Amino acid sequence: MTKTVAVWLCLALSAAALSAQTPTPGRYQAPVVSDTGGLKGPRQPIFFRHDIHAGQDQIPCMYCHATVAVASEPGIPALQTCIGCHQLISGSTPSHQAEIKKVRDAWRERKAPEWTRIHALPGFVRFPHQRHIKALGTQACTKCHGDVQTMPQVYQVSTLRMGWCVSCHQQNKVSRDCTVCHY
Amino acid sequence: MADGMTRVTYDYVTRTIARTLGNPGRGYFLLLGAAVALLAIGIVTLLFLLRYGLGLAGYSHPVYWAVFITCFVFWVGIAHSGTLISAILFLFRSGWRTAVYRTAEAMTVFAVMTAGLFPLIHIGRQWYFYWLIPYPNERGLWPNFKSPLIWDEFAIGTYFTVSTVFLIMGLIPDIAAVRDLATGWRKKLYTLCSVGWRGTNEEWRHYTRGYLYLAALATPLVLSVHSVVSWDFAMAIVPGWHATIFAPYFVAGAIYSGCAMVITLLVPIRKLFQLEELITVKHFENLSKLCLLTGSIVGYAYVCEYFIAWFSGNPTERAAFWYRAFGPYWWATWTMLICNAFLPLLLWVKKIRTNLTALFVISIFVNIGMWFERYVIIVVSLAGEPHTPWTNAVYNPTWADWGIMAGSFGWFFMWFLLFVKNFPAVSIAEVKEVLAPPKRVAAKGGAHA
Amino acid sequence: MTDGPNSIDRRRFLKVLGVTGAGAAAISACGIGPEPTEKLIPYLIPPEDQIPGTATYYASTCRECAAGCGIHVRVREGRAVKIEGNPESPINSGRLCARGQAAPQGVYNPDRVTGPMVRNTAGGFDSITWDDAISRVQGKLTAARGHGIVFLTGADASSFGDLVDDWMRQVGGRRVSYEAFGFDALRAGNRLAFGTAAVPSYDFANAKYVLSFGADFLDTWLSPVSFQNGFSRAHAFDGSRDGSMAKFVFVGPRMSLTGMNADEWVAALPGTEGVLALAMAQVIVSRRLAAVPTDAGRLAALLADHTPAKVAAITGLDEKLIVRLATEFAAAKGGLAVAGGMAAQYANGADIVAAVNILNYVAGAVGKLVKFGPDLAVGETGTFSDFARLTADMAGGRVALLFVHGTNPAHSLPGAFTQGLAKVGYKVSFASFMDETAAAADLILPDLHPLEQWNDSRPRAGIYALQQPTMQPVFPETRQSGDVVLKIMGRPGTYRDHLQGRWRELQRRFGAGKSFEQFWMDALQHGGVYGDAPARPVRLAEGASRIAPAPAAPTGGDQTVVVFPHPVLHDGRGANKPWLQELPDPVSKIAWHGWVEVHPETAKRWDLATGDFLLLKSAFGAVKAPVWITASVRPDVLAVPTGHGHAAYGRYAKDRSFNAFELLGADANAYGGRTFAVGATATKTGEHRKIVTTEGSARERGEGSVETLTLARAKSLGAADHPFHHEETPEYAKESVEWWGERQFEQAELGNYAGEQPRWGLAVDLSKCTGCSACVTACYAENNLATVGEELMMRGREMSWLRLERYWLTDAEGHPQGAVNSPMMCQQCGNAPCEPVCPVYAAYHTPDGLNGQVYNRCVGTRYCSNNCPYKVRYFNWYNYAERGGEWEAWPEPLSMLLNPDVTVRERGVMEKCTFCVQRIRGAQNKARLEDRNVRDGEIVPACAQSCPSEAIVFGDLHDRNSEVYKLAGNPRGYHVLAGLNTKPAVTYLARVVSNG
Repeated sequence: MTKTVAVWLCLALSAAALSAQTPTPGRYQAPVVSDTGGLKGPRQPIFFRHDIHAGQDQIPCMYCHATVAVASEPGIPALQTCIGCHQLISGSTPSHQAEIKKVRDAWRERKAPEWTRIHALPGFVRFPHQRHIKALGTQACTKCHGDVQTMPQVYQVSTLRMGWCVSCHQQNKVSRDCTVCHY
Repeated sequence: MADGMTRVTYDYVTRTIARTLGNPGRGYFLLLGAAVALLAIGIVTLLFLLRYGLGLAGYSHPVYWAVFITCFVFWVGIAHSGTLISAILFLFRSGWRTAVYRTAEAMTVFAVMTAGLFPLIHIGRQWYFYWLIPYPNERGLWPNFKSPLIWDEFAIGTYFTVSTVFLIMGLIPDIAAVRDLATGWRKKLYTLCSVGWRGTNEEWRHYTRGYLYLAALATPLVLSVHSVVSWDFAMAIVPGWHATIFAPYFVAGAIYSGCAMVITLLVPIRKLFQLEELITVKHFENLSKLCLLTGSIVGYAYVCEYFIAWFSGNPTERAAFWYRAFGPYWWATWTMLICNAFLPLLLWVKKIRTNLTALFVISIFVNIGMWFERYVIIVVSLAGEPHTPWTNAVYNPTWADWGIMAGSFGWFFMWFLLFVKNFPAVSIAEVKEVLAPPKRVAAKGGAHA
Repeated sequence: MTDGPNSIDRRRFLKVLGVTGAGAAAISACGIGPEPTEKLIPYLIPPEDQIPGTATYYASTCRECAAGCGIHVRVREGRAVKIEGNPESPINSGRLCARGQAAPQGVYNPDRVTGPMVRNTAGGFDSITWDDAISRVQGKLTAARGHGIVFLTGADASSFGDLVDDWMRQVGGRRVSYEAFGFDALRAGNRLAFGTAAVPSYDFANAKYVLSFGADFLDTWLSPVSFQNGFSRAHAFDGSRDGSMAKFVFVGPRMSLTGMNADEWVAALPGTEGVLALAMAQVIVSRRLAAVPTDAGRLAALLADHTPAKVAAITGLDEKLIVRLATEFAAAKGGLAVAGGMAAQYANGADIVAAVNILNYVAGAVGKLVKFGPDLAVGETGTFSDFARLTADMAGGRVALLFVHGTNPAHSLPGAFTQGLAKVGYKVSFASFMDETAAAADLILPDLHPLEQWNDSRPRAGIYALQQPTMQPVFPETRQSGDVVLKIMGRPGTYRDHLQGRWRELQRRFGAGKSFEQFWMDALQHGGVYGDAPARPVRLAEGASRIAPAPAAPTGGDQTVVVFPHPVLHDGRGANKPWLQELPDPVSKIAWHGWVEVHPETAKRWDLATGDFLLLKSAFGAVKAPVWITASVRPDVLAVPTGHGHAAYGRYAKDRSFNAFELLGADANAYGGRTFAVGATATKTGEHRKIVTTEGSARERGEGSVETLTLARAKSLGAADHPFHHEETPEYAKESVEWWGERQFEQAELGNYAGEQPRWGLAVDLSKCTGCSACVTACYAENNLATVGEELMMRGREMSWLRLERYWLTDAEGHPQGAVNSPMMCQQCGNAPCEPVCPVYAAYHTPDGLNGQVYNRCVGTRYCSNNCPYKVRYFNWYNYAERGGEWEAWPEPLSMLLNPDVTVRERGVMEKCTFCVQRIRGAQNKARLEDRNVRDGEIVPACAQSCPSEAIVFGDLHDRNSEVYKLAGNPRGYHVLAGLNTKPAVTYLARVVSNG
């Protein structure tokens, strides 16, 4: 059931992706990255471009990070999710094709890529994503993660330190009780 | 006495005290070596505690404070008599203090330095000790000013600063005096410490005023600091801690133990440095009278505690004090009672009071007794906590406890020994103050005595 | 982390984990201090039923004992992290005991056998491939045909058991099933009395008077959780239900956990329980106290020579007492007498049971409270005589090939069985642990843990419980024995197929027209199919009048030594689970070691102190046991628990304490059972040992900790009465104290204390609490409590957030008649002494009324604990999570059971009960997503969830309609140490004692 939905969505999106080859005005256009070394943020095993997926193709964050609104964890998309689309989409430029090939190889070899973690909280902090999405809306990801849809390579924008959490809770007049996050 | 005084001239004083700074003998080095060795033991133990955790010490639920806090209170107590002798007796213009106050003051500073270490050592995550200090931070978190531990922090901090300043200030004229006799690196050191003191009238006028004010400032601390320390316990609801008598009881105890420690320190120093002329039996007698007074107050406090426990009719209070006297820790309690309340009664006898050997021995016992007083209050009250008898446990210290304690003694005596060898252990200037001016020796001599 | 071929490697683990920040806390075992996973390894294919950071529950069946309780297994990121009772199961109705709670420590046990192994010439083991292993077995099978093939299992009324039966039939072998504590006496006794060897089900819930002849139905007898649940319904005091409190009298030589809950303890001479029962029957019949069935007339002769007068002489009891008991029992109209446990383990056990059956029969309990028909499956287990025959065959070299599965006779029958094993041609073990039996095997084919495998079981006639894999096998090289057996038999398909095949038959009976898939899915969701078997009337058998329950004095020594099953380690199977080792025995409060119970008088006579060693020598063997002096045992009896003294089985069990089975004989007695009471000589060895007991003070009675009421007084209480309401705040001070208590937090800038907030509270009914300690283990499981081991426990370092305080109830002469058990956890005071003294606000008051404990803020001054009058705060003296550290509490892969929702505490911080704040926050998150408030009963702390007697209720004290609010206002309610004005959130309901 969910799978079929996924497939249809993929088709739709791939169509979008293809049409994206011809730039339409008013739509964000991901830059061509020649020097990946110069990019901010840690280098990932596969050069996954959030700016293309989320920005240019406008795939909603929750398509891949599906559980963010229902669970404390947003979830890292399973390789199946990537393959869902990239069975059909093999990329326009050679550099893109090279990266997408990595995904397909990984799928063939049944070996998931080891992403380098960017946003990490210490073990004694509980951050229920669902509560924050509920309160701030599904578009609120950028509040903490920054404009990921324009990042060729994702990097950490917010400090994720307690002071940062508290200031936001203070502004929004929500509880700053310790055991909301620490237990 | 009188003829003794006649020989004690200004010049004699300067020379005698300057002599104490001369090349140390073997005895001194043995003592210093011993102190450093003890300190080494303490440091090694501390490293173990930091690596593996406080579990190495003897703690056992519900005894969550033990030897470390006992030592903390013990050393803070020791500190007290210093300020008493130097500040209060100064305000009361009691001449006999001049010969002993320097030693007492140095003892105060080093004792506080020692005591201050324990709160840091005894907490579970020593590397976060700075969370106890109020400092602005992004989390917007402050220490809890309701907690007596925070009061403690401030009390001890203040006490340390004031007593240090007081000590250094008192030293200035003396350092200047020895500066003029010294050579080599010492000369440099003294020149630095004597902040260009020349002994002009102007300087003396300002100096004495300043000293007086500082004395006035230090005086309330004698009462406040140990009161605050006592509130660590009095503020808690543990039967045996939760008592209004604690503040005066602790202050008296502190001065008591302090005077005892002064005696313990002075007797050997007097011998070592041949200061018999300056630190006379009279001084010791006065000290022991002070002991007698404070000791009696402490003894009275003991009686009060037990009386109130019985008189209150509060079953938990009664249980707690019964447990103290006849529980598994009866030996600690009785050591405390005998050493603190009974033994010192010997001081009523003038013969004993004026016999330094006897005095020395008694003072040692008082020190032991006062250590056990804290041990009884802290460990025994917790072990026999009568609210929930189900959790009662018997606590036994381990090598880690003793190691840290040994280290604290090493730390204290190291500083003390270094001090007496490098700075005048007896105040040159003030001893001279109470001497008859050279010219009218014969006339005034007798009168003075 | 070890890197053996079979050891669980980090990468695979992370994959299982599905990597989440919360999960990170669990692996980077030091929760405090930022140690997140540095790599994120996504799933290849996401599991349909898993949401990262959210728990999934699978229904299954507990296999820690034969009771077959239904369970819900809480799974996080593919790891089973907690087990809870399945409310739908008619056996345990959502409750679970300590042993069930500890099951995860079996799956993740660091001492599991990780793959098939074969004995090598050097006597050690080499690991081999499964194909190799299976072909070896097949080879041995063909060779052994006709020379004796035996498959030895535990009590295993399941499809697997049946499969084994088929197989054995096929290869001309036989299956022997063996339980160390079998129920032979019970069955023999039933045969004697009623001519049926079945084990009936007992309806404690509807009993009006419970009389137990040695049966420990609350801890080890038959189906403890269901019995305890029923018992507490009958025995609890409920003001609205007049005379609700069924009196409970316990007859036995020592006070067990069950005996401890008695209102009256009748310490009859061991072995005289039977005659006592007959005497009571005699009284009932002769005085026409009950509508005695007509055919009871046959018993006239038997009863005639069991008059109270005669029996009084034998039992050493007062004649009046016997008459009184009989009268009370009959007058209750609904008395239930049970015999088992100790009473059923003497040489005359069968007759004792029969005698008790007669008592039930004449009092009219049979058919009403003792129901034949819905029989318990343990009745199908082989008898000890079958097993004795097997050992004889083995010794005689008549067994060429022996398979062992799910039992460890080399421990419970140390001498005979081990010698026998030596003579067996080839020994194959399916053990997942290197226990004594496996250690002696030639080939080990490690089974999956019940939480990893498919199976079913029939705990009670009419109930078919399913068991499903709740997670991937921790050790990929272990294999389900069902699959292995099928493979050896050369049958196609997996065991799962086989199981489904059998369930198709059930579908026909219970399917109600559902397709099999539908039926199967339903069964999986509900944990099985729950039908009831029709009750079957029984009449007195011919032989009933010829029973002879007169005691036979045990031979071989002047001292009677009774060997009883340990409440949680049982026959020793629990010994390698640190949770169970560290759980203090409910009666003695001793942990990590065995003991021998000696009455103070005896101890005085032999001048023994607790901890002195006694050498017990029976005709069969000898053990050295440290003494525990207690008045809860008869002066002429010594009692020792089993469970300890393993020669193998793993790091926590090996070489610990003594094995009480050494004292017992290997021969079946008259009725084909094993005798657990032996004559022995006891001599003081002069050795001494400190034994860990959590019982602190010698002062037995709590001072304001527990309150009791007599039944009369309790009944007389009106809704407005508050007998325990003592407030020590004087009038003039009240206002200011109140003001301070409530306002002090509103000043606080952090958190929003103003406005409508819940006040979480707990109510504990001491009349229900039996002291079984299930809650304690549940707490360990839920809150990542470290086990510290024996040495540290001796120094009072145990971390048990929830402890059970046991205070004896004594009669006028000071003899213990029972005990009050009080679960003591953080009282979450409204006016908490721990809070103001914390210098860093690590201990502080939360807006919803908890005493928050912020682990990562704590610097460890321990002032809070000193100032806590309840002494419920515990300190991390070491880093118990340190990899390879001396005090490591979770050696790989045990750390996989850590609850990701709870911080693993670092060394140097204070910790305590938080009312399972993680569950509170979880429920609040859920409610918030659904735009509603948290419902009453939605939040259930681990302790309340598992409590078999439903003694603990959690809820919001500000909610006027909540269950806990009602209980808090109960006339029996009181606060511990209320005089200190701490305003606890925990209300205890006084224990009602109905003696006389």
